[in-house]
Amino acid sequence: MADFLYIHIPFCLRKCLYCDFLSVPYDASSAGHYLDALCRELELKKDKSGILRSIYIGGGTPTTLSEKHFRKLFECVRNNYVLSSDAEITVEANPGSLDRTKIDTILSFGVNRLSVGVQSFHDNELNVLGRVHSADDAQRSLALIQKSGIENFSIDLMYGIPGQDLTSWLESLAKAAEFSPMHISAYELTPEQNTPFFHLLNSNRIEMPDDDQIFTMYSFGIDYLESRGYAQYEISNFAFRDYECRHNLNYWDRGEYLGAGAGAHSFLNNMRSKNTGDIRQYIEELASGSIPVREPLRLTPEDSLRELLFLGLRKKQGIRLNKSAIFPENGVELCRELIDEGFLEIYGDSMRLTRKGVPVSNAVIVNLFGKFGL
Amino acid sequence: MAKNIRNFSIVAHIDHGKSTLADRLLEYTGALSEREMMDQVLDTMDLERERGITIKAHAVRLKYHADDGNEYIFNLIDTPGHVDFSYEVSRSLASCEGALLVVDASQGVEAQSVANAYLALENNLEIIPVINKIDLPAADPEKTKEHIEDAIGLDCSFAVLASAKEGIGTHEILEAIVNRVPPPAGDDDNPLKALIFDSWFDNYQGVIVLVRVFDGRVKQGDKIRLMAVDNVFEVSQVGIFTPKITPLHELVSGEVGYIIAGIKRIADTKIGDTVTDANNPAAEPCPGYKDIKPMVFCGLYPTASHQYENLRDALNKLRLNDASFTFEPETSLALGFGFRCGFLGLLHMEIIKERLEREFDLSLLSTAPTVVYRVTGPDMKVISVDNPALLPDQHEMIEEPFVLATIFLPQEFIGPILDLCQEKRGIQKSFAYIGKDKIKIEYELPLNEILWDFFDKLKSLSRGYASMDYEFIGFRESDLIKLSILLNGEVVDALSLIVHKEKAFYKGRELTEKLRGIIPRQMFEVIIQAAIGNKIIARENVKALRKDVIAKCYGGDITRKRKLLEKQKEGKKRMKQFGRVELPQEAFLAVLKVK
Repeated sequence: MADFLYIHIPFCLRKCLYCDFLSVPYDASSAGHYLDALCRELELKKDKSGILRSIYIGGGTPTTLSEKHFRKLFECVRNNYVLSSDAEITVEANPGSLDRTKIDTILSFGVNRLSVGVQSFHDNELNVLGRVHSADDAQRSLALIQKSGIENFSIDLMYGIPGQDLTSWLESLAKAAEFSPMHISAYELTPEQNTPFFHLLNSNRIEMPDDDQIFTMYSFGIDYLESRGYAQYEISNFAFRDYECRHNLNYWDRGEYLGAGAGAHSFLNNMRSKNTGDIRQYIEELASGSIPVREPLRLTPEDSLRELLFLGLRKKQGIRLNKSAIFPENGVELCRELIDEGFLEIYGDSMRLTRKGVPVSNAVIVNLFGKFGL
Repeated sequence: MAKNIRNFSIVAHIDHGKSTLADRLLEYTGALSEREMMDQVLDTMDLERERGITIKAHAVRLKYHADDGNEYIFNLIDTPGHVDFSYEVSRSLASCEGALLVVDASQGVEAQSVANAYLALENNLEIIPVINKIDLPAADPEKTKEHIEDAIGLDCSFAVLASAKEGIGTHEILEAIVNRVPPPAGDDDNPLKALIFDSWFDNYQGVIVLVRVFDGRVKQGDKIRLMAVDNVFEVSQVGIFTPKITPLHELVSGEVGYIIAGIKRIADTKIGDTVTDANNPAAEPCPGYKDIKPMVFCGLYPTASHQYENLRDALNKLRLNDASFTFEPETSLALGFGFRCGFLGLLHMEIIKERLEREFDLSLLSTAPTVVYRVTGPDMKVISVDNPALLPDQHEMIEEPFVLATIFLPQEFIGPILDLCQEKRGIQKSFAYIGKDKIKIEYELPLNEILWDFFDKLKSLSRGYASMDYEFIGFRESDLIKLSILLNGEVVDALSLIVHKEKAFYKGRELTEKLRGIIPRQMFEVIIQAAIGNKIIARENVKALRKDVIAKCYGGDITRKRKLLEKQKEGKKRMKQFGRVELPQEAFLAVLKVK
């Protein structure tokens, strides 16, 4: 029984230019059909033998859903699962789809954490990304959230945006910090193939900052956030103490989780799988009573070790050496060269990336794959 | 019987329509039904068809009912179309009495037309000029005839105007073959004397040799001797290609066909060798046999060391079909275990490499191609050095191979082309107008200089109009030194070069700059240096990698991220680890491209 539930809401007001995740334009009737299917899936997966410690409603833009839809969804969850009294219940929100009523509605269902996709406080950067909101919209939404009395909210910001420089990045960070969120995610913009953004890059109509600039933004970003009390607990995540995102930490700890909704991923009984990403198929298959599972993959010991390395090393905590049954006995020896060169360090009973290792973590991890014979 | 046989070849510059004409002749004489006709029937290897060149020779027997009422047997011997294979061409031509010289009416005479025409003249062949592609708007048959007369000295009053593509002139060509190409001489009753002009390995039959019988006869059960290699075999089958393989009772003088004789190794059947009767041998072998030696060398290494065995097997298999390349095991500090391979020329090298990768699914690294140098040591002993890494530090003299290059070009491009030849240490030997607007120049050039980018340059400086052919003329002393490349202080032998002293500084700088652009940023700084002996002459650096991180794990999608890292690891596998520095294949190719 998983203690973590992820629910995917694939609707947005408009798709952002850089987005290659599952989202379609919102309309009330398809959202209705989708919600029916989603609730069907939650019923089929019904499990009251455990206690949910976290629910994460992500998207897309979950905040496009109406009050009626939210009610239906939460009733369904509560009918089929047991929630811990201190469960972390997160909803992803976008400034363009938030107003006071919406916030109050969401909170009324027990949501106690909001993750707000601000990305930037500069209109030119938001335009390049194709975000539906403006910097003013973002500030208004955040002010509303502050007023609503919710204590725990997070702000997502992006660096490495075309046209962004170190100054504008630090301005965005400072602006975010003014709203005193408990948690800030700072993501590097990654151009994905088959997105309009990628084509704009390829046709030279926009240009990414170079790697050195991006490195500088990342590096100064970490310093700035730490100076404001946000501790880096993962490669892209910063939080006040005890406000780390429980749900995401579970991914990096390789804990089990149940996913519901189109394109949602699950990890149960050493098996990774996902639901179909085709919304129509998702609805149709659930209407006929089956769960549209795709690409189930049972992990081999090698898969598990690979995951332990690349997920565990994302965390500030690193890999707990004596707690992990799959980390080989001679593992530290295999890492010795990288430790000596200052990319990894042993810290208490853990091994983690150093400040030098974090920005080049892919290279370090790929190197480790080689050393571990993976 | 022999008076109704005509043995002929088609010679042409690349793209002048040789294969299309061969197809037309096959079609016209009914050797193949239309349904069986596929474009360019004689080019059987995929590579040949893709590149539009013939790599191996072929021979096909056709029956032609001529206007004079008689039936003739034609043996069409297709020849390789590239300078690297000029020896094979010359042996194919030696098997004929006549040749069709195909010249593109829109382009006129090019370097290979001339080189091949000369080869045909050397073999005393009757040459029939065929002005091809007369259907093209740019065709100028009169000017083309003038070219042929100027450049080759061949009377063009009886040239055939044709378009192989449109089937124009096919009949006239066939009649010209009947009337102009002499029938083969020779005597069935003399001892057997047959020239090997091609051979290949067949998985079921063993080695199949293609021969032209000059004297005598050969049939199943005969004991034959290959004169140069001096081996005896028993004939198990003889026959012809129509182009389908067709066994016959015997082959007699004047005929062209194949012999199968339980020969296991292609190396036993050298092109140009003579087949004779073991019990009643011919007094003299066919003239012109040469044991051809590779001129261009490079190291071939598997990108993954566990593929070494596969590479060796693949080389052995390829050699079954092509005895003209050589290989021997070689160990490189940088690249591990591999093979030093010798080729007839650059194209030959490319073809072998491509076949290894394509037909045997290997991933290969090749070192810079080099020529073979003759090095005289302090003790006055002469050694051959085909690997820059092995050049001794102390030596009295280095000699390098020179070629005589013949270049044809429209006159408007003469300036830049002369500059190019000069820059490549060329010595002009002749300069002549061909027709009113075309120029033929001859230069002596170090082979090493044309290994680089000479041909590409020639083409780009002349907008594709210049053509070139070359022949080896001997070894000459040059002021040559070894240029070494160091990565983080250690010499990478696979990147070293032997260069002319005057060019060392420039080449060192250019190569280090190129490598800086090619070597990806790594987890530490990479220093690239070029050195002559202990003296560093150029330096570049690749800064340490600063950013390589996956920003986000979305919604528990772990698999996607894992695949990304696995892909990155695959990419890393294609790199060669040298010390701690990882070199992509392009780094080794960069050495190729230094001017």
